Amino acid sequence: MAVVSARGLVRTFGQGRSARRVLDGADLDVEAGEIVAVLGRSGSGKSTLLHVLGGLDRPDAGTVELGGERVTGAAERRLSALRRRHVGFVFQFFHLLPELSGEANVLLAARVRGADPGAVARGRALVDRLGLREVAESLPHELSGGEQQRFAIARALVNDPSVLLADEPTGNLDVRAGAEVLVLLRELAADTRPTSSGGTGGRAVVLVTHEASAAGIADRVLRLEGGRLVAA
Amino acid sequence: MTRALFDAPRRGRTILAAIGIFAASLVVGTAATVGFGLATGFDRAARQADLPDVIARFDREPRDTVDERVSALPNLESRSYRFELEDVPLRAGGEHTHKGILHVVLGGRRGYAITAGRDVRGPHEAVVERGLAREWGLAPGDRLVAWRDYELRVVGVAVEPDNVAFPLTVTPRAYVSERDWGDEPLPANLALLWLADPERADITLAQARASSFGIGGLSFVTRAGIEALLGEAAGIVISLLVAFSLVALVAAGTMLAASAHAETQRRLPALGVQRALGFTPARLAGRQAAETALVAAPAAALGLGAGALAVAGPSAALLAQLNEQPPGAALLPVHAACLLAITALVTAAATWPAWRAARRPPAEILRGGELGRAGARRWSMRPAPPAHDGLLATGARFAFAARGRFAASVATIAVCAAVVTLMLALATLLDRLRDDPGAVGKRYQLTVRLDPFEVDAVKAIPGVADAAERYQTDVADSFRLGEPLRMIAYRGDHTTFEAPPLADGRRLRGDGEVEVGVGLADALGLRPGATLAVQPEGGDEVRFRVSGVVRALEHDGRIAYVRPRRLLDAQPGVGSTISVRLEPGADRALVERELEALGAPPQPVGGATTRNAAFLGVLATVLRGVGLAVGLVCLYALIQALAMTARDRRGAVALLRACGGDAGTVATVLAGAALAVAVPAAVAGVVLEWLVLGPLVARSAAGFASLPLAPSAGQVAVVLGGLAVLAAAATAVVARRALREPVIAGLREE
Repeated sequence: MAVVSARGLVRTFGQGRSARRVLDGADLDVEAGEIVAVLGRSGSGKSTLLHVLGGLDRPDAGTVELGGERVTGAAERRLSALRRRHVGFVFQFFHLLPELSGEANVLLAARVRGADPGAVARGRALVDRLGLREVAESLPHELSGGEQQRFAIARALVNDPSVLLADEPTGNLDVRAGAEVLVLLRELAADTRPTSSGGTGGRAVVLVTHEASAAGIADRVLRLEGGRLVAA
Repeated sequence: MTRALFDAPRRGRTILAAIGIFAASLVVGTAATVGFGLATGFDRAARQADLPDVIARFDREPRDTVDERVSALPNLESRSYRFELEDVPLRAGGEHTHKGILHVVLGGRRGYAITAGRDVRGPHEAVVERGLAREWGLAPGDRLVAWRDYELRVVGVAVEPDNVAFPLTVTPRAYVSERDWGDEPLPANLALLWLADPERADITLAQARASSFGIGGLSFVTRAGIEALLGEAAGIVISLLVAFSLVALVAAGTMLAASAHAETQRRLPALGVQRALGFTPARLAGRQAAETALVAAPAAALGLGAGALAVAGPSAALLAQLNEQPPGAALLPVHAACLLAITALVTAAATWPAWRAARRPPAEILRGGELGRAGARRWSMRPAPPAHDGLLATGARFAFAARGRFAASVATIAVCAAVVTLMLALATLLDRLRDDPGAVGKRYQLTVRLDPFEVDAVKAIPGVADAAERYQTDVADSFRLGEPLRMIAYRGDHTTFEAPPLADGRRLRGDGEVEVGVGLADALGLRPGATLAVQPEGGDEVRFRVSGVVRALEHDGRIAYVRPRRLLDAQPGVGSTISVRLEPGADRALVERELEALGAPPQPVGGATTRNAAFLGVLATVLRGVGLAVGLVCLYALIQALAMTARDRRGAVALLRACGGDAGTVATVLAGAALAVAVPAAVAGVVLEWLVLGPLVARSAAGFASLPLAPSAGQVAVVLGGLAVLAAAATAVVARRALREPVIAGLREE
């Protein structure tokens, strides 16, 4: 069964003659343990697709389901809960809070209201598992780009989501650090330990990138063209 | 430009700034209205009433005899006379008093202003003072009876600002015509003198004293003296209000400057581009100034108007109590000046950061450097403590991150909290002064006019802890007859019944010693060891050695405590009462009945100013109103600080939401930021009031007494609770705004 299921997604920005339809009937299914890479030119709507899948943005039309739960049409409160339970976001620019140490940034996601009670312990374990213990107390500006992204990935996994949505996760890293992050994502997708939402077949990973090399780790590569997803 | 200010991205900030200016202007408006009214009220009323420069009182004399001497005085422009009758029973419409004063107007300039109806012209007509008309509901056409059967028709209402109004003074006044008193010319005991040069009144008074031989009971009151007397109370209120309005204005200015700094920081790229395109710093700063003035002027005008309206009623009541006139249209130029000043201050505060930014080289601006010193703005560059932060602590970190704004916010809210605490302490003090004898050092609750030999019978009443004879008389200092003082005498230790705190020296121990109030000590230059020589009415001079100086509030501190022997030797007829101290939890009603059974109804003991209850009530209302306005400034400062923090950290807020944080999570983080500002501000505010503002105001209000202006636990709780509520309100407002923003908008900015 698909962990992520999207049908007929439409998203338009602007109005009237300046309106631009970046998603125009996009469909997507991602299974547990599967990595799907979405390629496309800058401005083609890749990030918008990710935002819509993760409930950060609402489509004009179409449906999204995460782990069998309907995302589209949900109230803001319900969306928060869905994101908390099912989704982990990894961003190109890491979004670490500058005044918190690396570990504190990871644990911040464990402190949101309604977070899984085991999230704090899981966060600490993730810091160890990702080899970040030595720099756990360092502030973000004291870390390398690769370390920052690994902390960001640990934060995304704190609530043990069934879906990882990564938006250009290597876009701000050098080649070596980027490769390490991609390997890590591959490992996480293959991790079959049960998630807090009950999944046992690994995590679904949707990877948005404009770098063809990043697609090398993907099980499936799709291209966003004219607002639709097509096989690359 | 107007459209740019109210476009969606800036609308919220513009409205927030306008609210801040409105709140500060509200305080300034209240202060200007009350302060200007009080500062100029006497002059206005005196001018309108044609108040004489000197009022002379003397024992009744034939008018011709007096006029012969008065007309020979130097510097005299004109004169008129009245015959004053005191302790006249007056009644009207179910009200009555035995303390009425009738002024028979004996022609000439009248010295009072008619505010309704007309002046007396014929027999059985009366003009009543405005305070009496207000309290008894009298108007022209009503009936007033003096003594048992002297029926008068009220034809007018008058204001004569030579004293405070009834019921602030217990002696209501009515003016009647000479025609009611037969054909024989009435004597005079009151002369009203208008001087050619009021500045040289001393020459006229010296000559008047020199030529007063044979005229008894002569005393003078000058217009300047009346103004000083009435102005004493008003002066305190004015200085407090001016101080508070400045606080509010500076608070708003600081917060707006911080807001403008943040706004300029956000617009730095645009500024850089504009500078690169050739715009001069002056032009960019000018645009900022114009935008700010466009918001500040209408907001300030509304605030000033609202403030003036809010206190118009209490202010008019206060002036009426003082027998003064409201300023009316004269207030408009004052408010116009305030409007200009507020607009200029706010514009300057908001323009300064833009000017500083625009003066930097365009390349530097485009690089996007901070406005302040590099590395000075955020604490984030310091090593962080171990990572165990909860959401509240994370919010607090957000608040600490912008150090300058954090300090400005804490300082602003601390000053506001201190002012509100002071307001509460002052209002409570006024209530206590009005109602609580303990506030002025009195430890007895009842007084009864019985013969001294009844003291033992009073002591025997169940519920009475102690009782003692209390002698009281007003005397004059032997050396300076113009310095009246009140002598109070107890046979034993007076501190059992009255114990104002000792400021210097020690308590009296014998018949020859005296404790003097600080007010009297200041007036006569007395210190422990000095001699106080007093002249009782119709008696011989008595001398006492000053043993101590006490901080007594009663009678402006012009008071002296002695043992009664020497006083009674010099003036055997000194009146006495019996002071009654009740046991804790005693049945007061029972004691009162028992005392009445002994032959006289007991009187409850009030504070120093029991008779001025209405006046004090109005004052307390005004002060509480100003406190409320300052509280609004406080709310604004909190919202402004929090909104700027939320704006700066919208990326962090968006990230929390992306991680599944709901409205509660965002509100908790913002509550942490609000508490980080509010808690230290509340503590600093209370300490500031306790150590600085309270003692300062207490000293300036009454140097002769100890005014308890330190905040009580209850007041501190109210201020802390109030700040907590304000912080919650600010959090709710800002969280609501933050949650309205799409998550991805915040993530993009970060």
